[in-house]
Amino acid sequence: MPDTEVEDLLRQLAPQVLGAVIRRYGQFDIAEDATQEALMAAAVQWPNDGIPDNPRGWLITVTSRRLTDLLRSDQARRRREDTVARWTLSGEWRVPAADLPPADADDTLILLFMCCHPALSPASQIALTLRAVGGLTTAEIARAFLVPEPTMTRRISRAKQHIKSSGIPFRMPPVAERAARLGAVLHVLYLIFNEGYASTSGPTLQRTELAAEAIRLARMVHRLLPDDSEVAGLLALMLLTDARRPARTGPGGELIPMAEQDRSLWNAEYIAAGVALITGALPRGATGPYQLQAAIAAIHDEAPTAEATDWPQILALYELLMRISDNPVVALNHAVAVAMVHGARAGLDLLEEIKADERIAEDHRLHAVRAHLLEMTGDRPAARDSYQAAAQRTTSLPQQRYLHARAARLC
Amino acid sequence: MKYMILTYASQQDYDGMAGKATGQQAWSAEDFAAMGAFMERFNKDLEESGELVETRGLGAPVHTRRVGGGLDKGVPVVTDGPYAETQEVLAGYWIVECDSFDRATEIAARLGHTPVPGHVAARSFADVRPIAESRAELEL
Repeated sequence: MPDTEVEDLLRQLAPQVLGAVIRRYGQFDIAEDATQEALMAAAVQWPNDGIPDNPRGWLITVTSRRLTDLLRSDQARRRREDTVARWTLSGEWRVPAADLPPADADDTLILLFMCCHPALSPASQIALTLRAVGGLTTAEIARAFLVPEPTMTRRISRAKQHIKSSGIPFRMPPVAERAARLGAVLHVLYLIFNEGYASTSGPTLQRTELAAEAIRLARMVHRLLPDDSEVAGLLALMLLTDARRPARTGPGGELIPMAEQDRSLWNAEYIAAGVALITGALPRGATGPYQLQAAIAAIHDEAPTAEATDWPQILALYELLMRISDNPVVALNHAVAVAMVHGARAGLDLLEEIKADERIAEDHRLHAVRAHLLEMTGDRPAARDSYQAAAQRTTSLPQQRYLHARAARLC
Repeated sequence: MKYMILTYASQQDYDGMAGKATGQQAWSAEDFAAMGAFMERFNKDLEESGELVETRGLGAPVHTRRVGGGLDKGVPVVTDGPYAETQEVLAGYWIVECDSFDRATEIAARLGHTPVPGHVAARSFADVRPIAESRAELEL
């Protein structure tokens, strides 16, 4: 039996098993460790012995036994009284009991909501989501984020401790909070994707395993909430962006801007899936930022050549996006769209306004966009200076090499 | 999933509730009525949320017969009142059916708000334990 088949099954079952065990026994932090150990045991045994008849039951049994052992040693080590969570009564004490046993789908969603709880820092939310919901090991997560494993171990255990001590119960957030909490979940998935697609540091531009994991998790959320337009929008955005990955770097790992990419290398299957998702989502009511960004990505992806890109349509979508999101990167992309429709000068004028936003004033992207627009106006010395300024402000080596190469061309 | 919520009291606590001071202060009539009203409300809420399977209070520990602990000439031994006056023993329980251990804990936590005299409140506690409904669950 191929290992990937076992691995796919384990990754899919991981949140279901953890959810079932937390429901029955609580103990988020220890249950999470126990689940990881059960997954590892299965990863070793199943490829040789075959997948058991009831793999989920097998994992729940092994996890529960392990949880019992871990709890006993934990309780023996310390006196319980000093560390129990403080149980406070929620406002809606008299919640109706569900007559039906909870669906596994609910457990996976609840786990996502827990891992992306607003009480945790974004770095903790990301790490915990990848481990508890994604079923990745700490070593894998540390490698993906280029930090030493002990650092990631500490980050994850602090996050788990935080969930435990805040006494966040294992249940769906109240209806009134659900939209905001789902927003936090989608943001975490978006950050994971971005870190994979446009690595902010390190020798390679992309860490494809993270982008692939973000897509897998977004697909899972889309399966659980098929009618949510923003979930569909986020998945579409990831697919439509990742579709360009094969053309985005050259043979030496160098960055190739979209206008110069070989579009025949783009992933047609992802583009078709992304376009279908966003086409289905857009008419379904409130249009959120992920849908708009996906729609923009779809226009880029469907253009046969860079010159044939429908920039007026892209500009219109960025204007909608600017209205609902206060994000300097969106403003920067809007300036590019303005330049493509109304000329480089108009775009440069907008950059002067954006420069006042301290969130992006020192970002390499602002300087890189200015360099491109200055190059379009024919001001080669100013463009060269801006490329160099951008290169100084990025920690990504491929981006530095790209920007220095652009600057050198203008000498 | 079913959980059992267990509460404990000693014979002296039972005496206090009955208005008799035997090592513990006696409860006033108001104390006793307030606790009764709280428990009625608590049980009614659980019934309405559909989570109550059953609840029972146990008689005073003095009325305990312990059976076993060896045979006397081939006959099981029966001991009357095996508990010391101050030993805390099971006093009552609730069986609740709810969607998680966390929810069962929340239900038990509400018992912490039971109006009781101060000397009782300080040492009251409840235990929450998962119920194994079948041999398969027991083996988990």
